[in-house]
Amino acid sequence: MKTISEKILSKRSGVDAASGDIVTVPVDLVFAHDGTLPLSIQELGGHSVKFPKSVVAFCDHASPSPSEKVSNVQALMRQFAHAYRLDFYENGDGICHQIVLERYASPYKIIVGGDSHTCTHGALGAFATGMGSTDVASIMAYGKTWFKVPETVHVKVSGKLPKSVHSKDVFLELLSRITADGATYKALEFYGDTVEAMSVESRATLSNMAIEAGAKVGMCAADEKVEAYLGHYGRSNEFTPLSADKDAIYVQEVRIRAETIVPMIAKPHKVDNVVPVTELEGQEVDQVCIGSCTNGRIEDLRAAARILDGHRSKARLVIYPASRDVLLEALKERVLETLLKAGASIGPPGCGFCIGRTVALGDGEVALSTQNRNFKGRMGNDTSFIYLSSPSTAAASAIEGKITDPRGLES
Amino acid sequence: MKIEGKVVRVFPSDTNTDEIIAGKYKYDELDLNKLARHTFESLDTHFYDDCTRLKAPILVAGANFGCGSSREQAPQVLKACGISCVIADSFARIFYRNGFNIGLPLVECESISNNVTRGEMLNVDFDRGVIRSENRNAEYRFKPIPQFMQELLEKGGLMQYLDARGGFTD
Repeated sequence: MKTISEKILSKRSGVDAASGDIVTVPVDLVFAHDGTLPLSIQELGGHSVKFPKSVVAFCDHASPSPSEKVSNVQALMRQFAHAYRLDFYENGDGICHQIVLERYASPYKIIVGGDSHTCTHGALGAFATGMGSTDVASIMAYGKTWFKVPETVHVKVSGKLPKSVHSKDVFLELLSRITADGATYKALEFYGDTVEAMSVESRATLSNMAIEAGAKVGMCAADEKVEAYLGHYGRSNEFTPLSADKDAIYVQEVRIRAETIVPMIAKPHKVDNVVPVTELEGQEVDQVCIGSCTNGRIEDLRAAARILDGHRSKARLVIYPASRDVLLEALKERVLETLLKAGASIGPPGCGFCIGRTVALGDGEVALSTQNRNFKGRMGNDTSFIYLSSPSTAAASAIEGKITDPRGLES
Repeated sequence: MKIEGKVVRVFPSDTNTDEIIAGKYKYDELDLNKLARHTFESLDTHFYDDCTRLKAPILVAGANFGCGSSREQAPQVLKACGISCVIADSFARIFYRNGFNIGLPLVECESISNNVTRGEMLNVDFDRGVIRSENRNAEYRFKPIPQFMQELLEKGGLMQYLDARGGFTD
């Protein structure tokens, strides 16, 4: 009678764990990036890295470096990674979460990242969560960490999603119901035939956004789609089936009918300030951004291309593929060509516009982005306004530079 | 453990770590004392200066304080501003863990943001789980902080705590 979190934490701690228990577990993968690793290196002090093979470093946030100061901070990371022979991903390789999905995450793994969106890897059945730089440093030094076993909210999505409605819309709908602290300290588990029918990439959008409801992890069952995804990256041997027991105990159940979901949008400056796109139609946008660890995968770029095909964007259109693999695939499928012809400026794989260090908005400007946060100042300007949506809504809105319902526009 | 100080600000619910310290600064600066000058800059340009004028300033906030990014620079800059303690209706999970990990005391006390105001002198008694306002002659109770987490604060943070114990006990 265990939830996914209880199963993983019991197995990995060797203790029969239930929600509320405190457990100590070995950490299979700990990673951090240019926004969090430098502080971890400082915190590590005189300690050495205990298990270098389980530590990975990324330059993805302020990437490629926009200034001398950032370059010097990144140089410090490079020296550290080199000294311990860590796996190190350079500027342009992609966003840490996309690379961890492609190369490291798998069912039952314990993954800690120095980034709040580490919960993304619940899509592959990993107990993955974000922590701060000191926790990351302590794991580098000791190879373990402690968790309070979370209570779990059961989210069941049933039915067929309408055309041009995506997992991003599903999560925004959920967020509008449970709010930005609706799952604080808890786990989210995503079930139902809608989730079963989703690709791993779409599920990763749900898991990625779990933290926006305050959750510790966002878990999906590890099924044949997870097996195929791992197989695509040559990691079939890492697959183990994983789902909650039928009689698992949940603290709350949320049921969502897929057919009733419409394209949704989060208004400034809070993620749970969610309304249907139809309520905002016609609102002007200066810049449309497609990418991020939430929606920068190949299926997101394909969805944008389907809508932008043959059009020329009136809004400034900025697209950052989530990883080098995603960019190569977009090139191969000529998705990139469609996007470029639509007026997109394509950035190097990485976090790009989402955190406001390499791309910034002007005073009072309005952005519509596929990222996960619309906090004040998030995109580098305290006076700007950020709206959040799916790639389809973003692409549809780019065409006329006005918020637009994507339904009916797909070729 | 006891803390006495004046409330420097009362921030609303869902105050996030981007607001505490903006992403545009944190990639450039490893010196937390310099970074601290930008604390809450998008909400309140006098925050840093007001903190430096007070002895042991206390920050009060509504629910879900510190939501968003995992950036530990957020509790670090508050500590560098001299904040002695943050009292909130509730905290976001990663921020809560980060606070104790770096030795910044955090107190979760329901409705505190509705009960106290800027400039008020508060006494926080961690052992008894009581916040006392002399001005109002009122007391607000909170669930005492577990012994393990008090030890983290006393040792100055997680690394110091683990070093003293030789690592994690299973």
